[in-house]
Amino acid sequence: MSVATDETGGRAASADGFVPSGNSSRHQAPRAWIDPDRSRSWLARALPIVLARKLTLFSALGLSFVSLLAQVQIPSLLNSAVTDALEHHNGSLGHYVRIVLALAVAAGVISYAARLLLMRTAYAIEFDLRNMIYEHLTRMSFSFYDRVQSGQLISRANSDIRSVQMYLTFGPNILVQCSIAVVAFIYMLTIDVPLAFVAMLTLPLVFLMGVRMRRSLFPVSWLIQARLAEVATIVDENINGVRVVKSFAAEQRELHQLQGAADRLRWAYIRDADLRARFTPLVQNLPQVGLALILLAGGYLVIHGHLGVGAILAFSAYVVMLQAPFQMLGMLVMLGQRAAASAARIYEVLDEQPAVVDAPGARALDRCRGDVRFDGVSFAYSADGPPVLADLHLHLHPGQTVAMVGRTGSGKTTVARLLPRFYDVSAGGVLVDGTDVRELTLESLRGQIGLVLDEPFLFSVSVHDNIAYGRPGATREQVRRAARAAGADEFISRLPDGYGTVVGERGYTLSGGQRQRIAIARTLLLNPPILVLDDATSAIDVQVEQEIHEALRTLMQGRTTLIVAHRLSTIALADRVVLLDGGRIVADGTHAQLLETSPLYVEVLARAQEAKR
Amino acid sequence: MSFGGFGQGAPMFGGGGGSRAAAAPGGGLPFAGIPSELQEGVDALLLSEPEHPEPSARFSHLPADAQSKQLNLRQLIFRHWRLGALAVALVCVVSVTNQLGPALIALGINHGMVPGHRDFGVVLLCGALFLLAVAATAGAQSAQAMVSGRLAARVMNDLRVRVFAHLQRLGLDYYTEEKAGVIMTRMTSDIENLQQLLQDGLAQLVGQALTMVVITAILFTMSVELTLITIALVVPILTLATVWFTRASQEGYERVRDGIAGVLGDLSESLHGVRTVAAHNRQRWNVVEHRNVVGAYRDANNYTAQINALYGPGTQMLGYLGQAALLGIGGEMVLHHHLSIGALVAFFLYLNRFFAPIQLLVQQYNTFQQGQSSVRKLRTLFRTDPSTPQRPDAAELPPVRGEIVFDQVSFGYLPQTPVLREVSLSIAPGETVAFVGQTGAGKSTAAKLITRFYDPTEGRVLIDGHDLREVTLDSLRRQLGVVPQEPFLFAGSLRENIAFARPRVADEEVWRAVDAVGLREVVERMPDGLDTVVHERGQSLSSGERQLIALARAFHAQPRVLVLDEATSNLDLLSETKVEAALDALLEQRTAVLIAHRLTTAMKADRIVVVDDGRVVQSGSHDELLEQGGPYAQMYETWVSGSEPDAEPGSGSDV
Repeated sequence: MSVATDETGGRAASADGFVPSGNSSRHQAPRAWIDPDRSRSWLARALPIVLARKLTLFSALGLSFVSLLAQVQIPSLLNSAVTDALEHHNGSLGHYVRIVLALAVAAGVISYAARLLLMRTAYAIEFDLRNMIYEHLTRMSFSFYDRVQSGQLISRANSDIRSVQMYLTFGPNILVQCSIAVVAFIYMLTIDVPLAFVAMLTLPLVFLMGVRMRRSLFPVSWLIQARLAEVATIVDENINGVRVVKSFAAEQRELHQLQGAADRLRWAYIRDADLRARFTPLVQNLPQVGLALILLAGGYLVIHGHLGVGAILAFSAYVVMLQAPFQMLGMLVMLGQRAAASAARIYEVLDEQPAVVDAPGARALDRCRGDVRFDGVSFAYSADGPPVLADLHLHLHPGQTVAMVGRTGSGKTTVARLLPRFYDVSAGGVLVDGTDVRELTLESLRGQIGLVLDEPFLFSVSVHDNIAYGRPGATREQVRRAARAAGADEFISRLPDGYGTVVGERGYTLSGGQRQRIAIARTLLLNPPILVLDDATSAIDVQVEQEIHEALRTLMQGRTTLIVAHRLSTIALADRVVLLDGGRIVADGTHAQLLETSPLYVEVLARAQEAKR
Repeated sequence: MSFGGFGQGAPMFGGGGGSRAAAAPGGGLPFAGIPSELQEGVDALLLSEPEHPEPSARFSHLPADAQSKQLNLRQLIFRHWRLGALAVALVCVVSVTNQLGPALIALGINHGMVPGHRDFGVVLLCGALFLLAVAATAGAQSAQAMVSGRLAARVMNDLRVRVFAHLQRLGLDYYTEEKAGVIMTRMTSDIENLQQLLQDGLAQLVGQALTMVVITAILFTMSVELTLITIALVVPILTLATVWFTRASQEGYERVRDGIAGVLGDLSESLHGVRTVAAHNRQRWNVVEHRNVVGAYRDANNYTAQINALYGPGTQMLGYLGQAALLGIGGEMVLHHHLSIGALVAFFLYLNRFFAPIQLLVQQYNTFQQGQSSVRKLRTLFRTDPSTPQRPDAAELPPVRGEIVFDQVSFGYLPQTPVLREVSLSIAPGETVAFVGQTGAGKSTAAKLITRFYDPTEGRVLIDGHDLREVTLDSLRRQLGVVPQEPFLFAGSLRENIAFARPRVADEEVWRAVDAVGLREVVERMPDGLDTVVHERGQSLSSGERQLIALARAFHAQPRVLVLDEATSNLDLLSETKVEAALDALLEQRTAVLIAHRLTTAMKADRIVVVDDGRVVQSGSHDELLEQGGPYAQMYETWVSGSEPDAEPGSGSDV
């Protein structure tokens, strides 16, 4: 679980302020991991992360208990003060006032400390959980990401972590608060046994009604959330699709669509109001019934000389004091059910094992020559899935540029993915400089391979940071040189903040060609001996395509390059062309040779030509 | 290894038919559907939902009515004034009956329990009255919750429909100038802000203020002196503390919200860019970076913890200190016979009841201010008039032949920077014209004037001799088909997406459109055929397939005039072939304007119009323009030389 915390290289200090964000953290890595034993209950599995914070957690609970003990004294003292000092003129009033004052101050200060510690513990646990999941996700292989929707993962990271954290930390606190009920009950028993039972009569009902209230309110509040999302979806679509809506004159229909959603939302809101109308007055007024019962029973006891008037005050004060914990106890039950379900979803992620990991004793690949060999490689994306590659042999000599051509589904993209070991082969081996990639460390292998993907992904950071993504320590000059070589410097300089412009999903929108060139610059900066290119130059302006090819030629100089080619113009970049069909190489040679010898090659090219026409 | 929870589509929540799946809304945090453990409860709830009446709101292109332009809270509530009045009346009842308890206890003690006045009959009467008061309180509270719930729900519903209708009539200029997130906010949080205010807030403002008055009045009858002392001890400090707390926690809440947005944003990018992360060996670096982002979120949470820990226990302590003071001061008064024991007990019990009203009043005032600011924003929205308004006397455009004329048209998105300058152009019925030119030359803008997304600043655009500004927008746009550059799919079934122009048609007609663009194979491969639900951001369709759907949608509309902005995004070869074939089907027999980014597309047209710097610089067929020489011939030259691989054999040459 250990991860290097600091790996700050030499970083460029720059007046323009586009230095890459620093990579050190004043925050500590998570201290524990969930219990890997899947047969245990979710709470037992979560115990290590809770115990990692045991010092603050138990201090918070202890302090909370002490503060409550102080508070429980106060009604009892009021009873004595009223009965003894005021009713029977027996004892000093000032004495009682001073004790209550002292208890109030003590309870306040201790309870502040307890609350602060408890919340900090809660957030510490949440911090650990979030980092733990993130760290785990970075280790997962591509086969995992092929299966799992990122939206689902994000929602797990959002609400499920929250509900587990709430239960783990507030659960014990609510239990402490309720344990005070026992203490209070003992105090009441010492004053008067029958009245103690009368006072406690309504509290279990408060708890039960609280549980029932939440049980019926939870579904409706989720329904409201769902329907708010439904309204938001319609609005979102009408904003993003405004041209379509307007050009098809569909405003009236969309308005009805929205009104329908709004009507359903209104129904859910009214339903929610009605359920609240049924339960809230009950839960809130039950303790009041308790007060009335104390008046009746207590009055009887006072009249018959069993009790002082102060007891009525004390018992009433206890009922008011205990009302909140009993309501929270009802909440705890529901929180527990939610947390168990959330934990199950989180564990589902954490229990996944990465498919591609460093072998024990794997060695680092350094100063790679760029000799790449696919040696009888077979591959399928899942164990029972159809084979994508079958006994594929391909040898790339250092410095050679090879274009892979083939119909959709012929397996050419898969070949490109196996080289940086995004997946492991099912049979055969991928060898770099004569060593099987499975015997190399992932980090050193990928460090020698530059990848330009068909749809380059830019992060929502500055252009500088995007280009320096693989080498965060790169200087401003190095980044600029890479951008210039990729033909990107010119347009970057024209951006609002130049290299400091934030791009990506949450920033400035770049055109496809511009994103491409930034991705090329990013790879150039890495200076890798091996290059994998997924052809993406299709259907951009002719002008832009030429510029990109220019950049690619610079990039490929002196490197072993594997190109997944979708169009003719890209093939022109390669020294050698291989034709894939059915997961095998069926032809190998120069473009001219293949044209003469392979009818399939001519057919694939003809398609390309036809599409162009 | 089962991964049951993953990959399940978001369930549908619509009771009736034709509703869209609740995908993640554009703004705010992702809503990923109802957690499975609650699904059963929600299903049970849905069973009790009645059929809602058919939506009946009428859409009009006219500007918002005078009432909407004067939107304010009073107006919103007065529309349902009966419910409002009832809610206030019920709140008044509650604030009296709810405060009777301690007074009755005091009465019971003073007249039934103290030496000399021992009488269980009095105690019994007081107890019974107490129970009665509790019952009245509960009943009134319950009724009030139902009434205000309905009031809020109706006002919100009304507002949602009105705001949405207004958004629908605003021009494209509004949508380009305003960020999508801001527009979204008008329909979501600005309206939802009012929910709490209407459901609870306004009634509470009245009720809590009244509660304070009632308590003070009751205490006055027992002891004016002690009442004033109590109020002086508690009210100022509590008010100040609550004002501080409300402001501080507001700020804390914003910090937490930014924090979680940062955390989820970072996570989301790491997931979407997972290949790039792996290819660049950034995992370790990112783990540390994520720790910083989560750390910032944790710091924000700790800040709110500090505020809550101060305020919660602080006010609690204030309560106990008040009790100590009451015991000291009130006790002395009892000893000197200025106060009865019963009254002292009542003071103790009322002391705590001062807290809630003050706290709620401060908080509700805050809600009130937020609501006011939301209403202001909505009012500004209603005061924004559509930029391409429909004239009150606009005529229906009769079925057109499809002749389009630009008559000395000038236009600029901003007055000082013209995009089109005195363009005159005539397109004959049935003709296909391609606009070519550099990015920014004005070719897309010209197309937007044909659909009347914008009005020319000077000159006229005519269709069959009618100035576009003199006909109704609906009748104009029904005869136009538009295929935007980026195909947009609505979350809904394929059928809904294709039959967008005329939704209630037989399947055969939809299939005809599907066949026309060569999409049948794809549709038949889908799990539910035409009923397959697609999502705008879902990855179930390739970009080629999405373009084909957009073409099928235009084909289904059977427009007289077609405006097509060619896509620039990447297509694989097969899709590209299909898209081109579909285009041929679509262009047949109608007037068409193509905004061509590729010369191959331009060559399909009967006539090519070269646009440069807002002017038409060349016009003619491909061959004519090549012969003429000039900008088009140059463009063509560059393209031919650039797209041929070096070893291209002569036979394969296509142009």
